[in-house]
Amino acid sequence: MKVRRLIPYLYVLPAFVFLFLFTYYPAGFALFRSFFHWNTSFIQPEFAGLFNYRQLLQSRRFWQVVSNTVIYSLSFIGASTILALFLAVQINKIKRAGSFYKATFFYPTMIPMAAAAMIWMFMYLPDYGLINAYLRRYGMSSVNWLNDRNIALFSVTMVGIWKYTGYYMLLFLAGLRNVPDELMDAAMIEGANGRQRLFKIILPLISSHLFFILIIAIINALEAVDQIYIMTQGGPSNSTNLIVYFIYQQGFRFWDMGTASALTAMLIVSLLLIVSFLFATLGKKVYYEV
Amino acid sequence: MKFDRKFDRSVVSAYVILTPLALLMLVPLVFMFTTSVKTLGDILSLEFQWIPQRLALENFQRVVEVMPFTRYLYNTASIVAMTFLVQSVTISLAAYAFARLRFAGRDLLFFLFLVQLMIPATSIIIPNYQTIRAFGILNTRLAVGMVYFASAYGTFLMRQAFRAIPRDLEDTAKLDGCNGLRVIQHVLLPLTKPSLVAFAFVSGTFHWNNFFWPLLVTDTARARTLTVGLAMLTQATESTPEITITMAAAVMITAPLFILFILFQKPFIESFAGAGALKG
Repeated sequence: MKVRRLIPYLYVLPAFVFLFLFTYYPAGFALFRSFFHWNTSFIQPEFAGLFNYRQLLQSRRFWQVVSNTVIYSLSFIGASTILALFLAVQINKIKRAGSFYKATFFYPTMIPMAAAAMIWMFMYLPDYGLINAYLRRYGMSSVNWLNDRNIALFSVTMVGIWKYTGYYMLLFLAGLRNVPDELMDAAMIEGANGRQRLFKIILPLISSHLFFILIIAIINALEAVDQIYIMTQGGPSNSTNLIVYFIYQQGFRFWDMGTASALTAMLIVSLLLIVSFLFATLGKKVYYEV
Repeated sequence: MKFDRKFDRSVVSAYVILTPLALLMLVPLVFMFTTSVKTLGDILSLEFQWIPQRLALENFQRVVEVMPFTRYLYNTASIVAMTFLVQSVTISLAAYAFARLRFAGRDLLFFLFLVQLMIPATSIIIPNYQTIRAFGILNTRLAVGMVYFASAYGTFLMRQAFRAIPRDLEDTAKLDGCNGLRVIQHVLLPLTKPSLVAFAFVSGTFHWNNFFWPLLVTDTARARTLTVGLAMLTQATESTPEITITMAAAVMITAPLFILFILFQKPFIESFAGAGALKG
């Protein structure tokens, strides 16, 4: 009898072992090691209290990375979700060739970010790049897309928006199936304008999808690193350094695992705080269909 | 009845809005293809040409010369296959327990699974690298795939699928003396194949395209994947003219998945849209 009670746990065990080993243990380990000196000048990790955190909070570079990450995330999330909703609403209207448009907006999901970053890097080339060639053709001056510290973050953000918008659009389309045609017809007859239909009918009916897409977009924004590694290496003058790339730099370029651990701990705690906050506020208001 | 007349204008405007945006969206793809068959002369002309002077197919030949393409292809394909196979075992077992069995702490455990969705793998590269090093498996294909062996998303997806299957079917099987494992294997999995296939599309795409983790844990051709090889290519050859070869390589690493996508467009798209079911 006792053995039988253990059987359910055996089913969960294989997945749980890997879940623990590569998600929960590392999260805890990073938090633990964040209180240690652990870099090239220490043979063994040595307890350091809050040293790593203090060091980070006092460094301008850290705050620049935080500011880059916040700017990147807000512009990426805002632009990609709004554009995705807009595309989904338009595609939902048309009867023919819907699948062509869907595939056309969705295909960047199939392209590895590493390849996408290469493509965009070459399109951004100052002299031979596609974008500047067109700017010149229409009499505008060339832009140094990836080497101008005031523009590079914007250029990198564009890649993210291009890569993810189609995926979010697809998720919005799944949500729009919850909006009955009859309801939209009725609203039109009653004379509701486009904005009223969007805010009073569509958004409330897809609020659970919207909420879910928002959370995915937040995670996609904060985990962004491939394009930074390939296109800018965080430069010029640190202007495109995002949090995960910064962790990589501290850990694998400067071999300062203590600082990298402190950053990891801060990233995970912020992620969990943001998501719990959203669940506690918006999550309650979200309309779930049964 | 439908009020088609009222809709006409908005349908036309939808096409008018969508078409230029769709074309714009395609620019990077076309750019990749056209650059991959250009010659240096085409690249160096300041006027951008969409159609190259001649098809420089030798670029693809050059890719195979400058990088061990078939080795990377073999590594990538085997990592994708291995990861999916192990995942399908771990997620089916866990999903069965969460969908069908009662045990203390079930909801808490399920919650712990879901929290994994909030912790992206790239955020914990530092401690995971330490673990992989401690295991002594740096620079192996196992190291690339192993950290993904448990999938919260897959577990959730299969749990939903199992719950939609009527219990009577299993009860009959159980009367015939099937235990849980055999019920999963002979009753539940055959009936939930579409969900497992959907997961295969999502997992396969993710691991085919995965870049940063494989980059960190591999340092020779022995375990490197295609995406890592692509990045190595530009670091080895920094001069601008090499962009033709880099784009040829990008075409080659993207092509297998892309061809699959074109052939199985509908199931692919539906699999990804299925992630929308993941809410609440």
